[in-house]
Amino acid sequence: MRVQLFGTCLVDSLYPEVGEAALRIFKKLGVEVSFPPGQTCCGQPAYNAGYHEEAKGAAEHFLSVFTGADPIVTPSGSCAAMVKHGYPELFRNDPKMLAVAKSVAGRVYELSQFLVHVLRVHEKNLTGKGKVTYHSSCHLTRMLGVREEPLLLLKALKGLEFVPLPDAVRCCGFGGMFMAKLPEISIALAEEKADKIISTGADTVTGGDAGCLMNIADGLKRRGRAVKVKHIAQLIAEGL
Amino acid sequence: MSANDTVSLFLENAAKVAAGTHRVDDKDKLKVKVAEIVAKGVSVFCPQTTELENVVAALFDKLAPDYTSADASVEEVTAAIAETGSIVCSSAKGKAVQSSLLPSHHVAIVPREKLFATLDDFFAEYAASPPTNITLITGPSRTADIELNLVIGVHGPEKLDIIVV
Amino acid sequence: MSTQTSLNFRANAAKAIKDAPLRASMRNAADTFGTRRTSAMSAVDFEALREKASNIRMNALDNLPAYLEQFTTQATKAGATVHRAHDAAAANQIITQVLKNHGVKMAAKGKSMVSEETHLNEYLEKEGIEVVETDLGEYIIQLDGETPSHIIVPAIHKNRQQIGKLFADRLGVPYSEDPQVLTKIARKVLREKFLTADAGISGANFAIAESGSLVIVTNEGNGRMVTTVPPLHIAILSIEKILPSLRDLPTFIRLLPRSATGQAISTYVSIITGARKPGDATGAKELHIVLLDNGRSDIITGEFREMLKCIRCGACMNVCPVYRTVGGHSYGWTYPGPMGIVLTTLLTGLKNSHPLADASTLCGACNEVCPVKIPLVDLILKQRVNKVSQGLSPSTISLGMRLFQTAAKSPFLFSLGERLASMFWPIMRMFGGKDIVGRLPHPAKTAFRRRFK
Repeated sequence: MRVQLFGTCLVDSLYPEVGEAALRIFKKLGVEVSFPPGQTCCGQPAYNAGYHEEAKGAAEHFLSVFTGADPIVTPSGSCAAMVKHGYPELFRNDPKMLAVAKSVAGRVYELSQFLVHVLRVHEKNLTGKGKVTYHSSCHLTRMLGVREEPLLLLKALKGLEFVPLPDAVRCCGFGGMFMAKLPEISIALAEEKADKIISTGADTVTGGDAGCLMNIADGLKRRGRAVKVKHIAQLIAEGL
Repeated sequence: MSANDTVSLFLENAAKVAAGTHRVDDKDKLKVKVAEIVAKGVSVFCPQTTELENVVAALFDKLAPDYTSADASVEEVTAAIAETGSIVCSSAKGKAVQSSLLPSHHVAIVPREKLFATLDDFFAEYAASPPTNITLITGPSRTADIELNLVIGVHGPEKLDIIVV
Repeated sequence: MSTQTSLNFRANAAKAIKDAPLRASMRNAADTFGTRRTSAMSAVDFEALREKASNIRMNALDNLPAYLEQFTTQATKAGATVHRAHDAAAANQIITQVLKNHGVKMAAKGKSMVSEETHLNEYLEKEGIEVVETDLGEYIIQLDGETPSHIIVPAIHKNRQQIGKLFADRLGVPYSEDPQVLTKIARKVLREKFLTADAGISGANFAIAESGSLVIVTNEGNGRMVTTVPPLHIAILSIEKILPSLRDLPTFIRLLPRSATGQAISTYVSIITGARKPGDATGAKELHIVLLDNGRSDIITGEFREMLKCIRCGACMNVCPVYRTVGGHSYGWTYPGPMGIVLTTLLTGLKNSHPLADASTLCGACNEVCPVKIPLVDLILKQRVNKVSQGLSPSTISLGMRLFQTAAKSPFLFSLGERLASMFWPIMRMFGGKDIVGRLPHPAKTAFRRRFK
């Protein structure tokens, strides 16, 4: 089996270890990974800020880079949702591009989705450790409908104690450009999220989106707590 | 759903929203129940426009001439709805809907044949030409405007009793 | 009156965030309502119900002129006088004129968000007519000269101590912070007002085309008081509140209270059809219905038409992470939260409200709970697009976005950007602001793309 890995810009520049974890998972499972070298950003920052012409530029580039028929896997619910739902919206008046966008949208998987539905990793013998809680990122759950998959994977990590996060579905306050446009609110929400995480007594919090995890890490830092923040790809790579 | 189940569902739903719920078999038992429910010596408004109202009106020595000054109001209502546990007061037949609003204790008599199973059943009957006022009443008046603390008895009745006959 | 405006959203929000009692009240409200809503909805098939409700509302909007015509004919036949008001000023003038014609000195008022939209109270007071708000929450904020911060629980931003002190100061009653005691005080004061008011003013949740009826949903009973006790009743509502028939009402009775407060039904659902008729012992002797347009006829023809399906339940605000953090007043106009972002912009213009378009993390919680399936996130995104195309987005951001596009189209430039960011990070931190760039981790020395083997 072959997949194309879409690293996402946040992972590429801020969290390369998440990309490496995804890579390790695929290698361990014998999946051949290609990393289309021309990839940049999916264009979501522009799309969500109302700059749809600029977003189109990024989208056209993405569609020209991710060609072929292999599944495209990304360790981000938000970026996967952008390609799946944002692109068809951007090209809704351009039949030719719309057809391309729809076909690419059909190939996109968020990592945990792919690991559960295609590779059935949750049925394998994995090991984990520590007390872990999970933040369910908004776009992952509400736009992609990925709710159970990350939990199935966490439960498959033997030795890991999973503790549910109260109000797990509430937004952490990242929101992409939101964190830059309204930082006071973003910080307040990150702190509120941090308080909930601390209340679980977990030593690690995980999730499926680097952006949210970044904001959560900031919230925890502000609360002065040394709770580890790890992308779910990292926990699985460690446990395989 | 049998007629009996509909009555049970109605009373169950009404009880959930803090209404006192009662069920009697006939007029004599109704008199006993009303005498039990309404506090002694308070002024009572009873419109005396139906047979059941006439039956219970005889119980009170202090009948108020109008609802504005009465402490309690005892009346037969237009209908009731099992789905929501609501009683329905309407202006039909010259009734004053305000008698279910101003006195602090409202006692509603519901003849069993006036009970509708669902909201749809009820509104199908009234959709074409409703009377001036129809009010669905579900429990005593309430508010949660202060820190979302439930307080029973704001502008409307502080106490609601429902008797199905 | 609140002096906050939508244009100052960020500053309003920053101030609210530092207000600890406000934050606590908002958290309590959002959490309580959220939990109650979820548990109430578990008793019904929410998805099926909201699909049905959405279709009914869309049909009403698609045929609005015809339904309004039918409503007007039927209500008139039932003895009401129906007025059409093009804008807020016209509505206020019509109401003032009716009140003056009847020599009204004091009017008791039930909750109406539309009257907040037209600033009716202010207008009437200038005309020398006393208006007493009778919903407990509205009464509390009127005593304190404030505006509602939530469309269902207007005084949600105040705690019991603040309300206790307010009552002691303004009403001369002994201080109490017991909600029970405070409610009974209001009951007593307001009962007097109901019985002596020359007129009642109310809003309405729905207007029924087939029968010309108004539907008013309340819990306290004040809505019933103002519509049945005084001799004159004036109802003000916006034109989109139409439902075709009373047969459509059950769907909304099932959805509205559950969405708003988590109740299976509100305590009182009143259906008022015209004025008191011969032989009636109920109803105002005269009923005036003011149908406010205020831009809605235009909205209905455009890309934001679905917003007019809104039934004002407040569920979207209760789940909104931004609203729970900043409270209703930060939004600077009548309607807060996700629905408020969209509606405020539609009714007051982007020029007067564009910062609100950014007041969403696009988390989508609002879409999930909306009982009439308004795609709030999509509408907020559309407003952002309009904000950009109308040149209301800051030029620095526009420049940044152009640079972003150039880089996103060129892997070389993109990679170069990453390297430069990593190299000059300390400088970027210095100028990027501690609350923005300062919250990002240091970029990796070697990006993932250059590590891939």
